[in-house]
Amino acid sequence: MNAGTPHALLRKEDQRLITGTGQFSADAQAVGMLFGHVIRSPHAHARITRLDMSAVHAATGVRQVLTAQDVQAAGFTDLPNVVQVKDQQGQPQTVCNMPVLAHDKVLFVGQPVAWVVADTALQAQDAAELAQIDYDSLDVVVTFEDATAPDAVQLHAQAPSNTSVKFEAGNRAAVDVAFTKARFVSDIAIESQRLVGSPMEPRTVWAWHDETKGVTHVHTPTQGVGGMAGFLATITRWPHESMEVHTHDVGGSFGLRGTAYSEHLLVMLSTRQLKKPVRWVGSRSEVFVSDWHGRALRLHGHIALDELGHILAIRFENQVDVGAYNVYFSTHIGARNLSITMGGAYKVPALHMSSHIYFTNTVPVSAYRGAGRPDIAYAIDRLIDHAAHQHGLDGLAVRRKNFIAPQAFPYTTANQTVYDSGQFEAVMDHAIGISEAKGFGQRRADALQRGCLLGRGLAYYLEASGPGGAAKDQVRGSFDPQGILSLHALTGASGQGHETSFAQIVENEIGLPASAVRYLAGEPQHGLVGNTTGGSRTLYGAGSAIKNLCQQLMTQAKPAIAELWACVEADITHVKGEWQEVGGAQRRLRFADWVTSLGAQAAQVHAMGEATSGMTFPNGCHIAEVEIHIATGVAEVAHYWAVDDVGLVISPEQVLGQVQGGVVQGMGQAFGEHAIYDRETGQLLTGSYMDYPMPRAGGLVRHFHHETHAVHTELNLLGSKGVGESGCSGSLPALANAVTDALRQVGAPPIDMPFTPAKLWAAIMAAPRKP
Amino acid sequence: MKLTLTLNGTPRSADVPDRTLLADLLRDTFGMTGTHVGCDTSQCGCCTVNVDDQAVKSCTMLAMQADGCKVTTIEGLGANGLHPVQQAFSQCHGLQCGFCTPGMVMASVDLLRRNPKPTPAQIAEGLSGNLCRCTGYVNIIHAVQLASQVMHGNAP
Repeated sequence: MNAGTPHALLRKEDQRLITGTGQFSADAQAVGMLFGHVIRSPHAHARITRLDMSAVHAATGVRQVLTAQDVQAAGFTDLPNVVQVKDQQGQPQTVCNMPVLAHDKVLFVGQPVAWVVADTALQAQDAAELAQIDYDSLDVVVTFEDATAPDAVQLHAQAPSNTSVKFEAGNRAAVDVAFTKARFVSDIAIESQRLVGSPMEPRTVWAWHDETKGVTHVHTPTQGVGGMAGFLATITRWPHESMEVHTHDVGGSFGLRGTAYSEHLLVMLSTRQLKKPVRWVGSRSEVFVSDWHGRALRLHGHIALDELGHILAIRFENQVDVGAYNVYFSTHIGARNLSITMGGAYKVPALHMSSHIYFTNTVPVSAYRGAGRPDIAYAIDRLIDHAAHQHGLDGLAVRRKNFIAPQAFPYTTANQTVYDSGQFEAVMDHAIGISEAKGFGQRRADALQRGCLLGRGLAYYLEASGPGGAAKDQVRGSFDPQGILSLHALTGASGQGHETSFAQIVENEIGLPASAVRYLAGEPQHGLVGNTTGGSRTLYGAGSAIKNLCQQLMTQAKPAIAELWACVEADITHVKGEWQEVGGAQRRLRFADWVTSLGAQAAQVHAMGEATSGMTFPNGCHIAEVEIHIATGVAEVAHYWAVDDVGLVISPEQVLGQVQGGVVQGMGQAFGEHAIYDRETGQLLTGSYMDYPMPRAGGLVRHFHHETHAVHTELNLLGSKGVGESGCSGSLPALANAVTDALRQVGAPPIDMPFTPAKLWAAIMAAPRKP
Repeated sequence: MKLTLTLNGTPRSADVPDRTLLADLLRDTFGMTGTHVGCDTSQCGCCTVNVDDQAVKSCTMLAMQADGCKVTTIEGLGANGLHPVQQAFSQCHGLQCGFCTPGMVMASVDLLRRNPKPTPAQIAEGLSGNLCRCTGYVNIIHAVQLASQVMHGNAP
């Protein structure tokens, strides 16, 4: 290209985001705005014996101080737990809800204890330091072993052994029988370690109260205003119509911004009581200890195979750390999301899973990119790889032999999940075909020359995308006199580029140029039904509703076209946004040209599109080659190939972007990220980006190649399967299998994530063979 | 304390508490909210601006230290249309949520000033002080390569 040649921007979102004119929630200023600060527990487990806020009240600029009593007086409930399950005996799960502000006891470092509002953020912060709070510290449990020990300190009076529930899914007896008949059995215990999700925008909220209308306006980054408004209404017990949630640009979310936190409620209460706008902006240090953490799962997988390598049964015994309380989706992750696809892409006659869901003195856990799906995908393919090597079987052959065949769909798993489509062997062959498999031996020899162990790992993942909580997805579309189509729905973006993808769907369907389409998330929110963004479902959920909207617009316009052409409607048909006259003059007219010709009358053209879309089954094959420097233990991903079946692709650039981002988040977990708590004190030892190794630009992946392999799905109108989480699901097992393969060269046994230089170096040093 | 600086080509003055950080001065006093604050330990680089043409994490500098300096924020970078680095970030899909983008762009501008034709490894090293959680960096490196090509004829 020539220097300075202007090119069209790739996405509709980009103009504002590259010029610093986006609207993130912390950017707003309002006249008379006050600033809140949270006083947090410095202890992991303690009784609050004195709470004296008098000095805080008296400090310069302070307008309000709130404690648990004030929240109770306002009638607020605790933060909700979304899913409650039963144990094998039919007893309901013990649910321990987190209070907005702690009363009597604190259960994790960072738990909100009190709230200060002042004229400036610095005044609020300074005043908070004057709080006189006495804590009587208690024993701390941060591991499964400590939490469930017979003499363990109990976090909640109603939860003996710090156990929330022992959940089971599948058929225990059938699995037991299969194991007795097996020729080969294997097991591997792995951990998907606790992570800090870390969207780059720290959590924030500001609110103001419209006295005349009696409506509190809440501005905060979220994944969809519908879900957030629902949680806020539940907790405040305020009428739904007395609050409106507004979200503009969202600086990443990954599951973390979809739910209401204490700060949302405190800001709302203060703004109503003080009759002023109130803002809270979390510091990164605060959100490390108060954003819900992710993962925190230990999965012990067992597999039974017959003499030919057919899988007879898979069993998982899981330990699910939910942190100090049951918040939002933690049970959903540990119970449903781990079990529904626990056979992966394979036909497995018997499945059984148990999940021991327990409490620790740590930040509560909820959804983080995949919410259990990447974890189980990781566990399945590590288990298969491990079993194959242990018994001298060919890992690829075992996969081929056990894949659900294309003609077997719809396929009902032993856990009663119905998969609709897939060509798993073809996708795997596609991936192997692009992965330069033949050169691996030479690359491995070359790596050794440079003092590195090169390992190659393959993984096949399958995941269930989100079914969605709402019954359907609606989208309202209307034209303005300039012929611009405005789309309104509830699903909010946090980097996925909805404005661009949705406009592309409209362009594909009715030929309206993307520049003539505007997407407005959640405005106007009232009267619309729809899902929050999550579980990789937005493109096909809201996207199917947009396709339906486009179809309605075509049908609606038909009489007008007939009138224009002076023919009968029966003589008109339409194909992909173009009207065609059957017979006669065989005239043609594109919808886009028609609507722009209407001028002011275009405002009469509007419709409500809707679609009901359940879960889909994105799947794919990822292959990684990881090079470990023998002298230092530093690992680098030399090559990464991925082939994903995400169904119909709307925006190839954004699909690639989602996969790259997801794979690198997986690399973050594979090679470094780990929220580590001190076992004695319950302090978070990795409480900043100086201790918590986020993936950075350098030294991660030298070569990345991605292709899609679309297999048709009829589970939604659009024919897409979702892509948001597949990068994490494919990368964890591919990378781990590659690391395991590298270590196998020196006879080292499998180790657990994160594969830090220290761990890899120690594994190589302790290995029976020298490189 | 009183200070005067040239912000995106315009002389500006302010009277702020002495502990005010440059990032807060830019955002709260001057309304330049394109400069984002993503951490409090100078690790993420979202707040990167250019002070006398050098990339600086503005959360790491007191406002007073910029007294008399020339400060450029993302809002002032493309005053006459988009800067080639901004253009390249969009074209290469080097941004998703866009929160880290202003800092990434400002750091990249300084990187290309110091090294007009960087290798991919040098770009990765040069941007290792800026965190992105969405893109996986692959396209960010492509974007800086493209900008280098556009600005300096660097072959990709």
